[in-house]
Amino acid sequence: MTQILNDDNRERSTGDPLYVLKGVTRTFAKGGVTVNALRGIDLEIARGETVSLEGPSGSGKTTLLQLLGALDTPTSGQIRFDGRSLEDESDSVLTDIRSREIGFVFQQFNLIPTLSAEENVAIAMVPRESSHEKRIARANELLGQVGLAHRLGHLPSRLSGGEQQRVAIARALANSPEVIIADEPTGNLDSTNASEFMALLDDLRQQFGVTIIIATHDEDVASHTGRRLRIRDGSISSDTTKSV
Amino acid sequence: MVTAIGLAAGVGLVMGIIGVSQGLSDAQNKALSPLNSVGTDIIVTRTVAPTLSTATTTTTTPSNGFGGGGGGFGGGGRSGGGGFFAGGTSSLNSSDDAALAAANSSVITDLAKLGPAGTKFTHDFFVPGTLITFPSQAVSTVANVKGVKSAVGALSLDALHETGTVPKITASVKTGGQTISTSVKAPVLTAAEQATERTCIQNLITKQLGSTTTTIPGSGTGGGGGFGGGGGGFRFGAGASSAFAKCLTPAQKAYQQDVVVPEQTVNEVLNPPTTNTSTSTYTVAGVNPADTTSGLVTKAQLVKGAWLSSTPSVAKSQVLVTTAYASQKGLKVGDTLTINKVGYRIVGLVNPTLTGDVSDVYFSISNLQTLSTNSNRINEVLVSVDNANDVNAVAKAIKKALPGATVLTSASLADQVTGSLSNARKLANDLGGALALVVLLAAFLIAGLLTLSSVSKRVREIGSLRAIGWSRGRVVRQIMAETLGIGVVGGVIGIAVGAVICLIIGAVGPALSVSSTGLAVGASKVSGLLGQTTSATVARTVHLTAPIHPLTIVIAFAGALLGGLIAGAVGGWRAARLAPASALRDLG
Repeated sequence: MTQILNDDNRERSTGDPLYVLKGVTRTFAKGGVTVNALRGIDLEIARGETVSLEGPSGSGKTTLLQLLGALDTPTSGQIRFDGRSLEDESDSVLTDIRSREIGFVFQQFNLIPTLSAEENVAIAMVPRESSHEKRIARANELLGQVGLAHRLGHLPSRLSGGEQQRVAIARALANSPEVIIADEPTGNLDSTNASEFMALLDDLRQQFGVTIIIATHDEDVASHTGRRLRIRDGSISSDTTKSV
Repeated sequence: MVTAIGLAAGVGLVMGIIGVSQGLSDAQNKALSPLNSVGTDIIVTRTVAPTLSTATTTTTTPSNGFGGGGGGFGGGGRSGGGGFFAGGTSSLNSSDDAALAAANSSVITDLAKLGPAGTKFTHDFFVPGTLITFPSQAVSTVANVKGVKSAVGALSLDALHETGTVPKITASVKTGGQTISTSVKAPVLTAAEQATERTCIQNLITKQLGSTTTTIPGSGTGGGGGFGGGGGGFRFGAGASSAFAKCLTPAQKAYQQDVVVPEQTVNEVLNPPTTNTSTSTYTVAGVNPADTTSGLVTKAQLVKGAWLSSTPSVAKSQVLVTTAYASQKGLKVGDTLTINKVGYRIVGLVNPTLTGDVSDVYFSISNLQTLSTNSNRINEVLVSVDNANDVNAVAKAIKKALPGATVLTSASLADQVTGSLSNARKLANDLGGALALVVLLAAFLIAGLLTLSSVSKRVREIGSLRAIGWSRGRVVRQIMAETLGIGVVGGVIGIAVGAVICLIIGAVGPALSVSSTGLAVGASKVSGLLGQTTSATVARTVHLTAPIHPLTIVIAFAGALLGGLIAGAVGGWRAARLAPASALRDLG
């Protein structure tokens, strides 16, 4: 088993899969009707993989994304993330895991409109880093890496869609996570920006060794990923790994 | 920002309302409690009780100290009465009544005393009205009451100013011309008297007729067939009758002299003399020129000109006039008021208090005492107490020390004040507190609702923060900090808005009218009977201000902050309780 040291000196074991899901189900009660969003998912995702989740609306891909992102817990089954079971953890533990090991990129970018680009990146570090100066320095560094060194002080409203997306990526990388979970990240981008986004993710994956999971409808985006999971009616209908 | 503006509006409104409420309170303190400003808490007088029926039942059963039957206080009054407090009860006794009548009697003008017919006259009469005068000794009695800081005597009188011409007063009475019939019996003569009279007459006849002998009838005097009568008898000469009268007895002579005309009453209707007398009334009061801080009017109330000179000989020819009376009569400082042929220079204009005893013209008290023949007599004692909280207790003690005294406190005088200020203040008293509370609650609710609304719009943002690792507590703290900041901004803006509102109210200064008649101490029963109103009415316009007090700012600011904080906590907690998954697209 090889060990790599990330920039925050966190020790990572590279041999074990990052995610191990066994018989994961998730049901919702909607208007007195029980909806089975996920029906017994079994899945392993290795570290450093780039995985796309595809499927029509209501297929369950967002529900799966929420469970992978420790935003939700399964109704039944097991989820092991980085060697820890998530299914019975409390909200505060899940919150801690999210702040430490998971980065999110949302379709709407979800930047805080009243904060500048660097502040939007820095707020992700608030739970882990008490020094404002250190947070800002780290934010500046990350924004430089995504090509926004000249836009540090701009409010989101003064940034283009692609720029906002890059701020969101910088924010997702702020705490040097194990995994970046992106929900329709190119949904609000034109095709040029979408291609640039994917190229950037590739760079970052190679640079930081981070695992990337993307829920998308976009065939181009999916084709950029090493592994494509298709979901239908709450189950994985196909699991294709691109041969390198 | 909307939240901050909403908060600012609430805070501004609260400040405005508290400011107006405070302004009304200040205006009332300024206008309605003026006794404090002249250092007087209590006024002691002796007024005619509204019901005089009890007066007749009052007997002289003096209480301790005061009102001794004759030698005690008030016993040695003038006009045979002056029995102030003599009854030792609160009701008016007969000597009080007599004193009052005597004091007011001079008002009945005996025009004949003013000179011969045709003389132009101007005369001022000073009457105490319903306030009975009493020896100034009462001041020291009041001063000795426990809790009394100082007591000052004052004299307040009604004045009747009469001008006109002394009329010619003639009455023609015709007497005589009437026929008087009376029948009386002549006195009966004794035999000796008859004999003497007969002899006298015979001698007289003999003297007249020589030796002729005539026999005089034996009885009766002046009878039908007596002498002097008859056809062929003799006739007396012209001088005979007087000589003859000498023969009458003393009883007959007296009888002749004592015939008296019967008593008769002659009724004549006289036309009353025509006069051009006109009467006007005003009120006067005496103050001690040396005492500038307490009295019916004080130096602080001097609006224009100077105070009465402290030199008695100079003050003797000086008066102060109220601004209201001056404007009514067109008087100004330096003018001369002529009263009973003596000129008094107006040295200053004063604006006396609304409640207290308000007069039109103020003399030095010794001057007025001389003018109104009230030497060493006063009719009011102005009292200031050591401790304002003891006013009622001291008033009771004075009443006990001076049985029969009318003791008025500033509070009871304030009740006589009417006008829009009084109404507004009543409204503010009734509603002000509740209104401020309601507005404060409204501001609080507005702040809360705006904050909640603002937080609920940020569900996606809060969800994102939760997704990237912010704990619920951290989210709530963050939102509370933000709302605190908004509260501070809103509060500061609101304080500025409130200050502007208060300044505008102060600049516009809505006028509140206050009027007062010196009912308790100035009204004259006598002048009332004459159909005249002599109580001076003072109307004052007080401009409303809305002062800003530090406490108001603190309350408004704290309200805004508290509202924001509580709403922030509730809203933040509600939002943070949502699953962080809400940040993702299907829930976001």
